[in-house]
Amino acid sequence: MVTAIGDNVAGNLERLRRKESGLGFTDYINTIYKEVLPVGEVKQDNAALFRMAGIPVQAGFSRTTLLGLVAMQEALQQAGISHLQDEPTGFINASTVGGMCDTEKVYFDLINPDKSGEFIQSIHTLDCADCTQRIADTVGFTEHLATISTACSSSANALMFGARMIKAGMYRRMVCGGTEALTRFTLNGFNSLKNVDRQFCRPFDQQRTGLNLGEGAAYLVLESESYAKANNSTILAELTGYCNTNEAFHPTSPSPEGDGAYAAMKNALAMSGRTLEEVQYINVHGTATLNNDISEGRALERLFGTAVPPFSSTKPFTGHTLAAAGAIEAIYAVLAIRNNIIFPNLNFSERMEELQIVPETELKEDVIINNVISNSFGFGGNNASLVISKYEG
Amino acid sequence: MKVKCYIQGMAAISPQHTFDGDITTAPFVQTESNRLVCIEPDYKPFIPGNSLRRMTRVLRMGLTTALKCLANSGVATPGPIVTGTGKGSLQDTEKFIKEIEQYKETALNPTPFIQSTYNSVNGLIALQQNGTDYNNTFVHRGFSFENALVDSMMLLQEGASHTLTGSFEEMTEEHFYIKSRIGQWRTAPVGNTRLFEQHLPGTISGEGSAFFVLTAEQTPASKAAISGIKLLYKPSEERLSAVLQELGADADLVISGDNGDSNYARYYELLGEVLPKPAIPFKHLCGEYDTAGSFALWLAAALLDAGKIPGEWFPMVKELPGEFRKVVIYNHFFGEQHTVMVVEKVNG
Repeated sequence: MVTAIGDNVAGNLERLRRKESGLGFTDYINTIYKEVLPVGEVKQDNAALFRMAGIPVQAGFSRTTLLGLVAMQEALQQAGISHLQDEPTGFINASTVGGMCDTEKVYFDLINPDKSGEFIQSIHTLDCADCTQRIADTVGFTEHLATISTACSSSANALMFGARMIKAGMYRRMVCGGTEALTRFTLNGFNSLKNVDRQFCRPFDQQRTGLNLGEGAAYLVLESESYAKANNSTILAELTGYCNTNEAFHPTSPSPEGDGAYAAMKNALAMSGRTLEEVQYINVHGTATLNNDISEGRALERLFGTAVPPFSSTKPFTGHTLAAAGAIEAIYAVLAIRNNIIFPNLNFSERMEELQIVPETELKEDVIINNVISNSFGFGGNNASLVISKYEG
Repeated sequence: MKVKCYIQGMAAISPQHTFDGDITTAPFVQTESNRLVCIEPDYKPFIPGNSLRRMTRVLRMGLTTALKCLANSGVATPGPIVTGTGKGSLQDTEKFIKEIEQYKETALNPTPFIQSTYNSVNGLIALQQNGTDYNNTFVHRGFSFENALVDSMMLLQEGASHTLTGSFEEMTEEHFYIKSRIGQWRTAPVGNTRLFEQHLPGTISGEGSAFFVLTAEQTPASKAAISGIKLLYKPSEERLSAVLQELGADADLVISGDNGDSNYARYYELLGEVLPKPAIPFKHLCGEYDTAGSFALWLAAALLDAGKIPGEWFPMVKELPGEFRKVVIYNHFFGEQHTVMVVEKVNG
């Protein structure tokens, strides 16, 4: 994985432990909000990302692709996969705006007949499949490919789709996740919706005023239990439950009572076979927009009553990485389980008046974490919850 | 994937008269430009006026096709909604990019940004139909619709009684120009009836929306069955041949994605070699686009349901088969995403 707080999983864990946020101002986006709106930017320019991905600098590779490649190389290496062809392996990627980060820089040249040059080679970066295929071609995926775009729940849905393909017996191994680069397009999009905070975002805080965007990429290697055992794979955790549901309430706002969030968590937990009491940590979507946190908080109170488990949003570390968020936070859930820790919700000081609950604000260590719920909610009413559990097999 | 599911109802907006007409009586639309444009229906019976005004073209097309499909299928709720689109709302994307520049990043209207989100059509269908079930959108060029189909077939296998599965795609003048810069289209205008006379570099662009209500069980209203689907990414000729043979050997009609483009014609020649059977093209009807496979599926089901092929729609085919029960569709998108679907006759 790669995020504003680290170029790999170990680096992310280190910064989470040290309570060091990755939020700051952008070095790479050309925007009038450069020193106004904080973002969670990966502090590596594209030349550095090419080096990290181990490929020569070349045209057509967007920042979205490069972030994805860096994360993919680590995921495959960590899973001990040197030849993807040894076992047919599908790749399910997620992206909200594809290579818009690069397209937006050359768009006016693309539509201008008087302009020509190397930028023509980036013509395909406008769509979401571009990054998926370049990553696939670079590392050698030749089997099932898909790119999912359901806004901020995209990579949670990618994990779900991959898991279901394994369950359906189509593959024994799938690699799933998402990649997202900061763009002027999305920054202005969210800013036009008036839900970007000029300060560092404050999830579940009474004074919160919005989110900060972020960038990053994360991939998880999913294997069927029987294949993982036969292959002697190190099983880091088990995806025991998931649910995708639509709220059918509003194109961009969640319902005040959190109907979609409630249904997603409830059904995912039911699938996992775990009880409410067995959930030790919830990595909430917690974008710090006015609406999300009320809606998600209400859903937590409705589902868990007065016994809401410890929860936190890690968005103040990474910013909201949109399509990549589900996979990044799924890895954080795995890290919580494997290290018995709960990550703090930074920038919280005052309980929301609508809620009785408050997030964890300190790093909690030596707590037994067997089951984590990870939430990702998006535009279009798309809600996704994952239950990630300690593997007990 | 080899799971059988059934098409309970369907609807399509395309450059042909597919929305209201019956395929056996609707006139064939002849075109002379390299950009085939949809015949859009009157949206007012489907979408309330105040919503309609805000919606851009592909949102209107997608939502209306979905609603018509539900009405044609007689199901009360949409169930899971799964779609594919290669490009989403190009009009909104273009508009927002330009407004950012024009207004120097200030006082922007968020509507084009919201509508440019690829899952916005899904959200609108869910909103208008109170569809709170599973909801997913695939955006992967020539695999977009076919992944939605794979997802839907898995959902049916997992126990869903039905799904609403579809695609939506538009071509704008601006994007047509952009893709002309890498030679995707023919340089000289070619009429759709003459598209296959000579294979030359480039093809004709298209657009459209098609939706299907798919069921796990056959019903008296089932229009056709989908019994096989395979997605192949940049396959070798050997692999493609093997899959065509495996899925298509006992088919009695081939629907070919041939688009007259000499750059990638080799694969369609291979199709003819591996499956030397009666074949019809479809790109002269809808043009080339990421989710053209959904039009081919609509066509296959409509023909199987009608039990005959209207000669007027296929003036370039000398001899049309009289009887056919099993159709294999082979398509690829500019040589990268190859898909094979098998569609069978049901109810008679």
